[in-house]
Amino acid sequence: MHWKKLSILGVLIAVFLVPPLIWDIGTSVLNLLIMLFIYIILAQSWNLMGGYTGQINLGLAAFFGCGTLVTHFIWKAGLPFYLAMAAGGVAAMVLAVIIGLPTLRLKGMYFGIGTFALAEVCRIVVGGTFHRMLKMPSSYVASYNLISRYYVAFVVATLAVVVVYLVTHSKLGLGMVAVRDDETAAQVTGVNTFKCKVLALFISALLAGLAGGVFAYLRLSFHFIFMMFSPVWTFEPLMAAIIGGAGTLAGPIIGSVFLVILSEVFALKLGEAHLIIFGLLFVLIVMYFPYGLVGSVGRISQRIRGVGRGMSQGK
Amino acid sequence: MANGLLVGALYGLVALGFALLMGVMKFLNTAHGTFIILGGYLSYWLLELWGIDPFLSLPLVVMAMFLVGIAFYKLALSPLLKLPNIGMRINTSMLITFGSIWVLDNTMTVLWTPDVRSVMTPYTGQTLKLLGVRFSLTGLGGVGVAVLVALALYFILSGTYFGKHIRAATQDAVAASLCGINVQRTYLFSCGIAIALAGVAGMVVVSSYSISSTAGIGWLSSAFVVMVLAGEGNINAIIPAGMVLGLIESAGLLVVGVSYRQAIALIVFIIVLMIKPQGLFAKKEYGS
Repeated sequence: MHWKKLSILGVLIAVFLVPPLIWDIGTSVLNLLIMLFIYIILAQSWNLMGGYTGQINLGLAAFFGCGTLVTHFIWKAGLPFYLAMAAGGVAAMVLAVIIGLPTLRLKGMYFGIGTFALAEVCRIVVGGTFHRMLKMPSSYVASYNLISRYYVAFVVATLAVVVVYLVTHSKLGLGMVAVRDDETAAQVTGVNTFKCKVLALFISALLAGLAGGVFAYLRLSFHFIFMMFSPVWTFEPLMAAIIGGAGTLAGPIIGSVFLVILSEVFALKLGEAHLIIFGLLFVLIVMYFPYGLVGSVGRISQRIRGVGRGMSQGK
Repeated sequence: MANGLLVGALYGLVALGFALLMGVMKFLNTAHGTFIILGGYLSYWLLELWGIDPFLSLPLVVMAMFLVGIAFYKLALSPLLKLPNIGMRINTSMLITFGSIWVLDNTMTVLWTPDVRSVMTPYTGQTLKLLGVRFSLTGLGGVGVAVLVALALYFILSGTYFGKHIRAATQDAVAASLCGINVQRTYLFSCGIAIALAGVAGMVVVSSYSISSTAGIGWLSSAFVVMVLAGEGNINAIIPAGMVLGLIESAGLLVVGVSYRQAIALIVFIIVLMIKPQGLFAKKEYGS
């Protein structure tokens, strides 16, 4: 079983790793794939906090935007990109400390409110601070090539999936799931729930910050940097995670693929209106398929085979 | 400083419906700000198309938004009552209403373009000198509306049978329904009232400030902060808490620039959560 999974993973990696080297697949496809990878990172980041730990983050954009902003400036200052991206991730973690420590001690709702308010404040403050267009010096623009962006995005996305896999299969991961299913019971049985939540938030924010770094690598200029904090960057990864199935490893990946294809289809035809459809779809899925695509399939096959006690009720 | 009070009363009004839904029914309505904008558009169009003054169109806006609230409850929120516990109800309502923001925001953008709108009445921009301080007329009207609405809500909650039903359903929905209270209907009407309150707030926002189709999120974060200041479920303290926030903001503005105004609210929010998470005006039960 384990080897089967690993070989599937290997084939998948090869499929994404090799083709861009051999033949030219066109910038639009490449761009689409890079955005797909960014969505996968963000959706996994949200999934770790929302799907596994049960703490709903409504301000993922704050961490993402923070990562973009910090990476952009440190890269511009002349440091190598990898350091800049790491700095972006760390900056997102610092932001997470500010909001996480006060809110995670309380009921889950306050975390949602706090992150939401944080993203909104970041958007307004950054919008008020940076009025002008931000762009990298022209030497960076001259050496721009999309293939290296593709590989950076791919590596970070793979890293995100691996990190989420490792975390959720560790003792910490068990604690996180326990917090999600019943926080009081977890506390009583000796799980340090606050520590679990804070660690999950750290990793989640780090991943979102790295996604921001990838985005700063992809886009060299920003007309309105505050758009990086726009709630769209919260909503779409959240939607990807929920559609695919929160609390599963494959869910956010499948959801991201679904979302990217869907937005490609709708955004061109409908423009603004495509978000109405997304919103409706999202609401319907939360209401009627709370386990997403992966979870629903899993539950149905579980019921058919009649094994297991069913997935946990919490979300 | 005095204007801090005016803004603060508006913050209170903005938070009132939000706190009613959260405190009483345990639905976290993140689309509240968006409903405020919807109410604002209603009074804007009533003025533009039929020339009805925003303050006079209030009953119409309230009735329309009440119906919107009932529809919203029926479509989106009532299925959540089946969920096994309160925590899940809060979390799921958070997600559902967050999705609703996108539906409503973009519907409004498509229907009425993303332009910034504000109403112009003969008295817009006029001021009134009171105790040596100049107040804008629309701002004072907003405070008047806020106080009236808050008082009305107080009387409904503490003086009528319906209010008793709401409070009973809050404390224990099962016991309340055993005592013959129609909990479903109580929830339905409270949700209507909450959204109607958003409509009132929208009218005041459009008369003193401006609205655009995506501005709801900003008002929502104010509503959050005010609710945390007042303490969850403590509806009578909402207007005072809003005024406290308004005063803190206007004092903070003297120190930092206008673009950091929202940051002040966030800092207040974090400090309150760290020091006194039950809210500044916390009591065991409201209205007692």
